[in-house]
Amino acid sequence: MKYRTAHERIIFNRLLQLYLHYRSAMIQYKLIYFDVRGLGEVSRQLFHLAGCEFEDVKIPRNDEQAWLELKKSTPFGQLPILKILDAESQNEIEIPQSSAIGRYLANQFGYAGKTPEEKAMVDAVIDQFKDFLVSQKRLTLAVRTKKSEEEINRVKEDIVTPAKDTYFKILKKLLENNSSGFLVGNDITWADLQISDNLTTLDGLGIFVPSEEPILAKFHEKIMNTPSLKTYFEQRPASLL
Amino acid sequence: MFSRFQISHCPHNSKNNYGYFENFSAEFYRCLLQSFIIQMPTYKLTYFNARGYAEPARLLFHLAGVPFEDFRMTHGDGTWEKIKDSTPFGQVPVLSVDGTEIPQSMAIIRYLANQFGYAGKTPEEKAWVDAIVDQYKDFMSAFMQFVLAQHNGKPTEEVERLKTEVYAPAKETYIKILNGLLEKSKSGFLVGESLTFADLVVAENLFGLEKNEHFVAAEHPKLLALKENVYGIPAIKEYIKSRPDTQF
Repeated sequence: MKYRTAHERIIFNRLLQLYLHYRSAMIQYKLIYFDVRGLGEVSRQLFHLAGCEFEDVKIPRNDEQAWLELKKSTPFGQLPILKILDAESQNEIEIPQSSAIGRYLANQFGYAGKTPEEKAMVDAVIDQFKDFLVSQKRLTLAVRTKKSEEEINRVKEDIVTPAKDTYFKILKKLLENNSSGFLVGNDITWADLQISDNLTTLDGLGIFVPSEEPILAKFHEKIMNTPSLKTYFEQRPASLL
Repeated sequence: MFSRFQISHCPHNSKNNYGYFENFSAEFYRCLLQSFIIQMPTYKLTYFNARGYAEPARLLFHLAGVPFEDFRMTHGDGTWEKIKDSTPFGQVPVLSVDGTEIPQSMAIIRYLANQFGYAGKTPEEKAWVDAIVDQYKDFMSAFMQFVLAQHNGKPTEEVERLKTEVYAPAKETYIKILNGLLEKSKSGFLVGESLTFADLVVAENLFGLEKNEHFVAAEHPKLLALKENVYGIPAIKEYIKSRPDTQF
């Protein structure tokens, strides 16, 4: 949908919210993840962005027992899980894998991209983020298992920095070629949410230095200032990951 | 009867703004027919001369009977170096659709599968198809860590550590999940009643693993059945006969 005027955008969003509010009486969403941002955060943000109610279940990261109990009942032995309950038929569907959940919700709420080609580019950005995450995880693992400062710096220099250079180059190219200020198309997509959240994490880890990356810093600020998300960002608990 | 379809001598009939037919209803049907002639986009898939991350998309084109340019670059002859910076992410595979370029193998196959009708029938089915290929990517990332360490001559203990702590658990999880899905499946496919691109991705993955001696299909009858099911489809069987035989 191309919004010819701001009025059209406002009306469409209001109609969507009314529809979602009506539907939430019939469909109940439950998102289950750990009490960190991690791979569950983009889905949380999609619910808040769309103004759709959901149950935000957070399992304490350090409660091994609680997780192991829950793990057995999950489809893939992993979190996050999205549970969709049809209130009328009491039929429940579970969906595993963070990106599958994110894409499903983004498509439901209209934040997946406006054309098939845009949706494919949004998917490609998410895939690129997931590729980079493999390297990021090496660092967060070293930090969590309290490796020596020398080892942590080695991981940062040899593994994370080269991966980050490739990743940031791709993101900057997309932003430079798009006058809207978003990564893909003329409107916010879940790719913008995911990348912005990742930049928050990388800032905390000292991998993303806003003063050294003005294009990414400007993008990050734009997404963090999204009107329907500002309140959520202000209220959510701070976490490193 | 044929007088109704009298073709005007002048295609641009200024008298009544019709195209080819003088008669209104004939002209109406002509316009209707023209609107149904959907122009197929021009597809080009760029990758190396290997199966790798591009093969599931190739299978999908052949399955759907859609023509495409299967552009295969030879490693080390300079072709890749020349075009790398012009690709969206500096990586292959890349799909070109009427000039629009799409990178990332799973984004490509999902796009094509949605165009051709192999992505899943409902939003929930589509999500499950996505979840399975995500699991495949997770497995591949663990597998590649081990294989690359081995290939790049890392110390034996590092390779062993990756094999037992990273690769083996990822493989066990992956196989367990696939078997669990096939156990519950009535159709023999991973999701729903018919083939989706998840089946193509997994079948091709198992083929490649077996060829490189990382997997013995006979030890996993349900997975073997899926692979044979997919490769038995006539359009795919035909393509497999003639596709280049590469190690990866």
